[in-house]
Amino acid sequence: MQNAKDTFYTMLQGRLAMLNPSRTIVVRGVARPGTLVEENELPTASVPVDTFRLQWTKLQVNSVSPLPQVAMECSIQYATDGTSGQGSMDRGRLLAAMDAELASALAAEPRSEQKMNYSGASVGVAPAAMGTNVFWSDPVFGAAAVLDERLERTATVQVYSHQEAGEL
Amino acid sequence: MSTTTAQAAVAPVAPATGRVRAYFAPVNRSAGTPTIFDPAQLGSFDLDTPPSPWADLGWISKFVRKCGTKVDPLRAGAPAITVAQVRAEVEAAISFEFESWGKLQATLASGSQQTNLLTTASSATANGSGGVAAAPISLVTGSGPPSTASSLNVGATAALGFSIGSLVAVDIDYTGQLGYVGTGVSTAYVQSASAVGGDVNYIRRVTLNAGVVVGIDSGVLTLASPLQAGTPTEGMKVSRLVGFCDREGASFFQEWSALFAIEGAQGDRILYHYPRLQTMQGSAEAVGALAAPLESIRLAAAFRALPVKDANDGETVVCFRSYLPAALRNV
Repeated sequence: MQNAKDTFYTMLQGRLAMLNPSRTIVVRGVARPGTLVEENELPTASVPVDTFRLQWTKLQVNSVSPLPQVAMECSIQYATDGTSGQGSMDRGRLLAAMDAELASALAAEPRSEQKMNYSGASVGVAPAAMGTNVFWSDPVFGAAAVLDERLERTATVQVYSHQEAGEL
Repeated sequence: MSTTTAQAAVAPVAPATGRVRAYFAPVNRSAGTPTIFDPAQLGSFDLDTPPSPWADLGWISKFVRKCGTKVDPLRAGAPAITVAQVRAEVEAAISFEFESWGKLQATLASGSQQTNLLTTASSATANGSGGVAAAPISLVTGSGPPSTASSLNVGATAALGFSIGSLVAVDIDYTGQLGYVGTGVSTAYVQSASAVGGDVNYIRRVTLNAGVVVGIDSGVLTLASPLQAGTPTEGMKVSRLVGFCDREGASFFQEWSALFAIEGAQGDRILYHYPRLQTMQGSAEAVGALAAPLESIRLAAAFRALPVKDANDGETVVCFRSYLPAALRNV
């Protein structure tokens, strides 16, 4: 299941970065594309804005298939305060831009990605390609939440994969 | 001697997909020959660029295949017991909804011939499928670039009568032809010249050879997509049109060759090929729910499959289902 999570995250991060290369975030002193998985980062109470934050929530396994089919819910949260130069009056536009980027990245073809095993990957060592693909549903966008000058939204996506022989 | 490292095959899982893509190819009605799709040669084609002469109909939804084939038992003895079976009847039908509302989709879903609403001549008498059409525009030859499937040389003067966004129908004049008419695709059947009033524009009125103008330069109209019938032939003319019309109760049966492709999430593919489909209902729409009072209206279509002979063994069949497994799948 971890391979499917890593594969989906890497796919989404790459597609979002291609759509908007200027959406970046500095994490532990390193600038990188503005997409992260919260469980892979240091716990913090602060909410990074103008960034897509992935959380893995629900999990369901169907064992009837020759390869158990795994359905995981990915909750994608994002928020914006607008820009200070605009007095935050552009926060609606910035949230709409993030809506569009996320929708476009998830709707782009192909709607599947070859599952990769990143456990042995490091600098100069590529992840290992696996035998099945990860695929996903259309996102369901929740209502925008208003927290003072902040606008925040959560979208959920069902991510499907098959557990391959020997895969944990 | 070269060697390759053996790899383990993956167990075959049920294909997962959310969409079905449809493709159209013409049936030569006069000769009674459909367009045959060979999945062994072309099955892995790019869904966005189908092989010629297949035309993309876009995504469809609510794709349902209905098998009406009846298998009856043959009984013998007392008490009677089934000793064999026989196929007493072969029947197949499909139904679906088009996700796009284009000329080709509307024509196929209409259940009969669809007419182009040609721009009328001044003071034309009102008519339900469009009044007498304005005079057509001839394509220019020998001066300027030749017309192609996606550019029409009408000359600088005639081009003034078109604008970006103009819809055009391109086909030959009606000069008394009988039987199936329509270049590229048979779109109507003329029983007598008097039935169509000897209308010189009749073939352009029913043709599928239509397009939208997206550019005008030096008397040449650039079309958004190539004409169904390809490069215009000698004698073809251009008529402007404003839209399309079909009629409940019309007598013509459209017939077409169909291909439906389902791309599995694992890289596998299911193909359904119906060489001959004819409509089995009149024009209909399916209403999709939006926030009230809004509704989306999709073209709903249902077709009955007609038979062809498989050249491999002479079997009479109505549909071919092919499955192309993903790479390295156990079979």
